[in-house]
Amino acid sequence: MARTLSMKDAINEALDLEMERDKTVIMMGEDIVGGAGAGGEDDAWGGVLGVSKGLYAKHPKQMIDTPLSESAYVGAAIGAATCGLRPVAELMFIDFLGVCLDQIFNQAAKFRYMFGGKAETPVVIRAMCGGGFRAAAQHSQMLTPILTHIPGLKVVCPSNAYDTKGLLTQAIRDNDPVIFLEHKNLYGSETDVPEEAYAIPFGEANISREGKDVTIVTYGLMVHRSLEAAETLKKEGIDVEIVDLRTLSPIDMDTVLESVEETGRLVCVDEANPRCSIATDVSAQVAKDAFKSLKAPIGMVTAPHSPVPFSPSLEDSYIPSAEKIADAVRETMGA
Amino acid sequence: MSTVGIIANPVSARDIRRIVSHAGNLPINDRANIVLRILTGLSTTGVEEVFIMPENGGIRTQLVRTIDREDRMGTMRFPKLTYLDMPVTCTAADSAEAARQMHDQGVGAIIVLGGDGTSRVVVSKCGNTPIAGVSTGTNNAFPELREPTITGIAVGLAVTGQVPNGQGYSFNKRLEVRVNEKREIALVDVAVVAERFIGARAIWKTENFRDLYVNFGLPDSIGMSSIVGLLSPLDRETPEGRHIRLVPAESARSHLLAPIAPGLIENVSIDGVETMQPDEVYLPSISAGSFALDGERELTFCETDDVSVRLQTDAFRTINVSYCMAYAAKHGLLTRESDSALAKL
Amino acid sequence: MSNPFPLEKDKLIEAYRTMKTIREFEERLHVDFGRGDIPGFVHLYAGEEASGVGIMMHLKDHDRIASTHRGHGHCIAKGVSVKSMMAEIYGKATGSCAGKGGSMHIADLSKGMMGANGILGAGAPLICGAALAAQKLEHDGVGITFFGDGASNQGTVLESMNLAAIWNLPAIFVVENNGYAESTSVEYAVASDSYVDRATGFGMPGITVDGLDFFAVYEAAGEIIKRAREGAGPTLLECKMIRFFGHFEGDAQTYRAPGENEENRANNDCLKIFRSKVTEAGVLTDAELNAIDGEVMTLIEEAVEEAKAAPLPAAEELTTDVYVSY
Repeated sequence: MARTLSMKDAINEALDLEMERDKTVIMMGEDIVGGAGAGGEDDAWGGVLGVSKGLYAKHPKQMIDTPLSESAYVGAAIGAATCGLRPVAELMFIDFLGVCLDQIFNQAAKFRYMFGGKAETPVVIRAMCGGGFRAAAQHSQMLTPILTHIPGLKVVCPSNAYDTKGLLTQAIRDNDPVIFLEHKNLYGSETDVPEEAYAIPFGEANISREGKDVTIVTYGLMVHRSLEAAETLKKEGIDVEIVDLRTLSPIDMDTVLESVEETGRLVCVDEANPRCSIATDVSAQVAKDAFKSLKAPIGMVTAPHSPVPFSPSLEDSYIPSAEKIADAVRETMGA
Repeated sequence: MSTVGIIANPVSARDIRRIVSHAGNLPINDRANIVLRILTGLSTTGVEEVFIMPENGGIRTQLVRTIDREDRMGTMRFPKLTYLDMPVTCTAADSAEAARQMHDQGVGAIIVLGGDGTSRVVVSKCGNTPIAGVSTGTNNAFPELREPTITGIAVGLAVTGQVPNGQGYSFNKRLEVRVNEKREIALVDVAVVAERFIGARAIWKTENFRDLYVNFGLPDSIGMSSIVGLLSPLDRETPEGRHIRLVPAESARSHLLAPIAPGLIENVSIDGVETMQPDEVYLPSISAGSFALDGERELTFCETDDVSVRLQTDAFRTINVSYCMAYAAKHGLLTRESDSALAKL
Repeated sequence: MSNPFPLEKDKLIEAYRTMKTIREFEERLHVDFGRGDIPGFVHLYAGEEASGVGIMMHLKDHDRIASTHRGHGHCIAKGVSVKSMMAEIYGKATGSCAGKGGSMHIADLSKGMMGANGILGAGAPLICGAALAAQKLEHDGVGITFFGDGASNQGTVLESMNLAAIWNLPAIFVVENNGYAESTSVEYAVASDSYVDRATGFGMPGITVDGLDFFAVYEAAGEIIKRAREGAGPTLLECKMIRFFGHFEGDAQTYRAPGENEENRANNDCLKIFRSKVTEAGVLTDAELNAIDGEVMTLIEEAVEEAKAAPLPAAEELTTDVYVSY
């Protein structure tokens, strides 16, 4: 039965169900339980924003608080994944990728290929991503392009609670390393979510809004900004189709190409920095495979080529807004 | 010019006893600091040059860095430190070679940082050069526990003749083990164990113990000599030794709970105790096994080998630190006249 | 005369055979690489055999090890097929990794070999994971990471020692200290040259053994592994050892002191030391050992011939096995 859940609660529920279903699923991360070894309450935090709150009481043997030592525990999660466990390591903020990238991109991502197809590394690395929290340059980034670049990793960035539960369930059951990125500005966003476990396959984009004039290809928080822009544009008589990629690796280019072939116009919206981004990648593939369908130059709306600023006024203009998206669509329409 | 040698073993207190019994591990930086404190004591008493064993365990790196820094800052004065010209093998052979070279160069004394094992190796090669032990090993029955600064001062006073020649030294007994033509010594104890390989050297499996020959053993000693200390104590001076027959538990006359290594208090099974007389030959009770010298397996023997153990008295010299310091106090060796201007105030 | 060693005669033979196999494997690679037969880089383990074999003699397939660049010896000692390793180093389809890994990435998870590693210190977190899995899955497996004196300065190693200590993992940190991090000496690169001190700093025991003496390594490792299996937690084992060749093949080794290599070959060869111990004790004869030498030479020769004759990977293999599922 479906009921309304926030994205945060959907994550909690997916983790709960999978840890219940499979005792080899373990969670590891900084303060995912909270208060380890301290004098106060058990399960003091349940993650820095309370995402895993309450899970420790149900699955005490499957939840391990780690020291602030990302290289060691992310690497340990990867090592354990080759030895019969299915660890879900929480990297708190994806910005901390810098201190454990070797374990992710030189170890986990390469084992299968490097060992001649004989390794399976079923590890999930969950992390918060994205801006809007006034958390500045080292706690706000959208590092999807860096991760998507690396063969051997699967990269997921859902936009709503329903997809989050289904994609996280798939991530845990998947036998490849998965980077699961949760936009912290979406934790409160709600949708209907079935109570039972379900998995959404990777590599299947979702049409968030059907339309005939312009295709917007995006993911994460930008799906919502694009929907907002589409409502404005509707009043101007522009009918926008929105493709929510959901997984960036594998990427569902078939759905993107089909949509562009219908609409003939493309705007790529990406919260990441512009150079070598998801936006440039999708644009290049569409230009190569559907050039003849295009009626206008491809539009791109991204963050600028700068770190994420702190001051609210600057950060608001850093993150692509519905207005900028609408402007890009109008430009594509020749308006 | 008075010179002193220092042999600082970087790998003492590093063996398997850290695993089996939580034995201590003196960090390398602390060993370097001990050498620096000794150097301060030597410098204060007028020793101008110190020869030191090269090693690559980290002590040298720390010493050189610190001495360079202190020289630049001008805050401390050390004697000239000269590293011996010898290859570094990271084994006991280094301590042996350093002891030999120091003896040949005529140093006034050799200060040894290590435990019983390191001291044993040095004594076996340093001839009549007196040694002063500073405890940094696992079993430290031979070197006395004392702040190394004081050892440095006492050695300095002795080698510079401020404590008159001959008075600052003690004579010591030791045990000699012979396997065919090969002779080795032990400063505290010789254990015969049934294991017939050297392996990780340390001994801790009491069921394999067969004989124990002890030079001195006090009730508060640590190591194999504690067995004698607790059964029939013997000091460093009395010209006799002890032989204890050890047996598997089922055939023992009595059992003794003994601290046979740091952190390892074990039941040992006793068959009997006898007094060893100097220069008499004693034979192990088994025909094949190993000799552990001062707690470490060193020599193996089998049925066809000709083996024996012998007690030697007046065998080597040590610096008597307590005597030297008492002499310094009595004769005002460290007393200086006040500055006359200040005295008038 | 009875056997004085803590291993039965067949185990002594196995130890010698494995050490000799590693030695001849590496000696042969040295020659073949010099001739230009082998692509890429190789880093040879010759001279260090007593460490890998002394430790691995205590392990079972469900015990995991993570190795270094210098991984051939660990692979052979952990039971990876010599012929498939040789084929891998030749880049052939029949190699342990189907020609996709090469010398620096040989692995065989079925044997508990989690891979040689091109990244220094990267194995330490991985074996913490293996040890954690043993703990969670409640079997008596241990995780052992090998790393050199050079990689001991990596943050991953230090972080992992902390992790292993707080979780009381059955993890063992083996420092194979051959005195050189590539061309740089320990004295220069390591602020506190004592690895045991580092272990102590994390509240775990650490010991140093003579890595040239198979029996010293074997006995110490046996005690450490037994304790880890019983729940006594992590330990650091430093094996002091000697690298016969350069950092990689082609290294002119101008950083070595004159005569160093010759001296090591003559007097610090762990295989010679093993041979003299077992023959002097009368447990194995030179004739028995020479016979093993002959068998090993035959095996290596066959491995090279089969590797040379084996097919290259098919072109379509370029993009397979990136993922389990696409």
